[in-house]
Amino acid sequence: MDIVLLLANLGLALIVAPLLNGIIKKSKAGWQNRQGPGILQPWYDILKYISRESVISEHASWIFRFAPYVYFGAHLAAAGLVPMVLIESPLSGVGDVIVLVGLLALARFALALAALDTASNFGGMGTSRELAFAALVEPALFLALFALAIPAGSTAIGALVGDSGVTVAHVLAAGALFIAAIAETGRIPVDNPDTHLELTMAHEGMLLEYSGRPLALLLWGTQIKQLVILSLLAAIFIPWGAAGDRSAASLIVGLTAYMLKLGLLGLALALVETTNVKLRVFRVPELLGAASLLGLLAITSVYLVGG
Amino acid sequence: MLVAEAARDAEIDTLKEEVYRSLLAPESAENVNLKVTLGRLAEACTAVNRHLGAPLATMVGLDDRERTGKYRLIYVFSAGRRWVSVETEIDPTNPRFPSVTPGLPAAHWYEREVQDMLGLIPDGHPDPRRLVLHDDWPEGVFPLRKDFDPSGPVPRVDGYKHRFHHLHGEGIVEIPVGPIHAGVIEPGHFRFAAVGEVVLHLEARLFYSHRGIEKLAEGKRFDHVLQIAERICGACSLSHAVAYSQAIESIAGTVIPQRAAILRTFYLELERLYNHIGDLGNICAGVGFAVGASQGGRLKEEMMRLNERLTGNRFLRGVCSIGGVRLNPSTEVVRDAANTLHKIEAEFRNFVDLLMGTEPFLDRLTGTGVVSYQAARDLGAVGVAARASGVDCDARRDHPHAGYGALQIAVPVRTSGDVHARALVRVDESLISFALARELLSSLPSGPLAVEVRELPTYETAIGVTESPRGENVHWVRTGKNGSIDRYRIRSASYCNWPVVALAVPGNMVPDFPLINKSFELCYSCLDR
Repeated sequence: MDIVLLLANLGLALIVAPLLNGIIKKSKAGWQNRQGPGILQPWYDILKYISRESVISEHASWIFRFAPYVYFGAHLAAAGLVPMVLIESPLSGVGDVIVLVGLLALARFALALAALDTASNFGGMGTSRELAFAALVEPALFLALFALAIPAGSTAIGALVGDSGVTVAHVLAAGALFIAAIAETGRIPVDNPDTHLELTMAHEGMLLEYSGRPLALLLWGTQIKQLVILSLLAAIFIPWGAAGDRSAASLIVGLTAYMLKLGLLGLALALVETTNVKLRVFRVPELLGAASLLGLLAITSVYLVGG
Repeated sequence: MLVAEAARDAEIDTLKEEVYRSLLAPESAENVNLKVTLGRLAEACTAVNRHLGAPLATMVGLDDRERTGKYRLIYVFSAGRRWVSVETEIDPTNPRFPSVTPGLPAAHWYEREVQDMLGLIPDGHPDPRRLVLHDDWPEGVFPLRKDFDPSGPVPRVDGYKHRFHHLHGEGIVEIPVGPIHAGVIEPGHFRFAAVGEVVLHLEARLFYSHRGIEKLAEGKRFDHVLQIAERICGACSLSHAVAYSQAIESIAGTVIPQRAAILRTFYLELERLYNHIGDLGNICAGVGFAVGASQGGRLKEEMMRLNERLTGNRFLRGVCSIGGVRLNPSTEVVRDAANTLHKIEAEFRNFVDLLMGTEPFLDRLTGTGVVSYQAARDLGAVGVAARASGVDCDARRDHPHAGYGALQIAVPVRTSGDVHARALVRVDESLISFALARELLSSLPSGPLAVEVRELPTYETAIGVTESPRGENVHWVRTGKNGSIDRYRIRSASYCNWPVVALAVPGNMVPDFPLINKSFELCYSCLDR
């Protein structure tokens, strides 16, 4: 474990995650013939919510109060697991991809409990949809990651970061992970992050009861999760440019490359959102099933064609 | 048993004869009034509805105790181009009447409203719960009775408890939504009974934006009431204003100048266009299709800016006056309108190509929120909702108003009854409206803008009808003394179509409700008044 690298990673995640969301929003707005808010807007929103009063339902228990911290903490911990500017991940000795997926599940579990805690309808509906989707996304994530872990002989994230070159398994796993990333970030065609239609919400429905500082933590946490997932995709599938050592030159190149990669993946998400329509709820499993299938094919290809 | 049936058949036959005779009589070319006793009310209404194939257009309850000592109910049917009214009187000592609803489902809300507002109880109504009044309104206070004083506040009380229909069974959950929503939209309470994501039953509790407009109009001078009529609704301001003006003009026996009639028609088409285009954008928003939503919003905005340049108001308010129109568009503005419409039409065609070329979008629309032909007929659906379910109706053709009589109005009808059909009807109608608007602009006659209407005869009634973007608006007006309004009954298109929405939803998924709702795009304010 490397404390300096860990702190650098966490700091970077905290600062960049809202900006990444701002870039995605801005590019969506551009493709939709709108000006859209500035890319700093998510940051302004977080600061605004932090300064606001939090209204908590009288029916809420301690779960409702604690869940935002668990949610935020779990995603921040996940940010310590993924490689960002450097090839190595700061917590490489501590956790692997299974821990990473586990942390995402822990955060989701905490938020699901909190959303059910106030017994509001939209919390309940949102939770049931989010968990139904999650049950299908997690297998896809695991299958795709294992397809890469098997040839590498390790589930450590550092081991997956590619020196093995581009293989069939890589291509199939990339497809699976990209679909999983859309679902995990709650974007169209799975969920709609910009909707005000409470009956259609999944992730947003779970946040409806929150206000003030806890809401700021949840929004920030969600943005960090998005950053973690895109960083993981970037580290595994577009590893070029990542710093191998800590010289100033390679750090600058690594940072620039990292930002470009995040921006590129953000644009890809925005493009998918702009060109697609939200699926019927009952058709989402078909899409996520396709992701699992891609993951399974990736594993099969490892054994059939040796990766 | 057989004897009773034979007697009733004979009675219906005489009724039919009466109706036919009065329809054929040359002196009553416009309206037919059938005065019936309470006992024959239901039969008369069903006879007119079934045997003449005339849908119920509106129903009016009147407190006529000062004049005749009785309450009066008037069921108005639309028989071809004429109105057939079935009238009955109710004795104030026993304010009850036999409900017409069992034989004529379209009457269900009118009768509940009469019960709330006038305290006339429909015996045998299948659903006699409160409709307009909410739970905190005291029992025995009836706002539309003449002795109700609207100047002071009415005390809020506990007591009445609205009973929703509950469904019981394994796994059935009830989902209450609204009246306050996450977005900035009008208030309405929706209660879903669902198993998982599938809706079994939907009940809507509306009338949260009731402003007492019908009461407000009573006793006001007829020209003042026009200002009120314009404010019934935001999105169909003009069609309400024109419907009211026409009712007053027909009472006064005024024929508006040709230029005014053509301008009214032109503005009505502009109102239809900005609504239809905006509604198509809203359907996109309902499925998270952001590009479509923003394009629809942009084109609607262009239309509204054109409205402002033409009339000084984005909602076309203030342009209609009693006896004609207020503003004479200059030649430059007319040229600007022609150019703008040409440009927007081209962009609208691109917009439609974008929508119809987006497969996932069409997938969400097809088969969602189906309204059967039978349901649309039985509940008296109007406008886009009716035409998407195979009902061939359009007040522009069926009751020619403004300058529509001289025009050939094509009425696009679709039969699948789903969100897709309602979207397509809007597309077809918009293209027709662009053509109509162009035709009207190029044939603007010269001449005066309006004729003056000074006085009105006392206790005369008339009906004004317009085809608003949402369907037929029927305004029933009776004048009082000194040019005042005695009773004003506003039946908006939304009033007919809201019950249809509740019927379109069961069997669909909960998250499809906003989409289905947007495909009707009904107005709460029009409904509540």
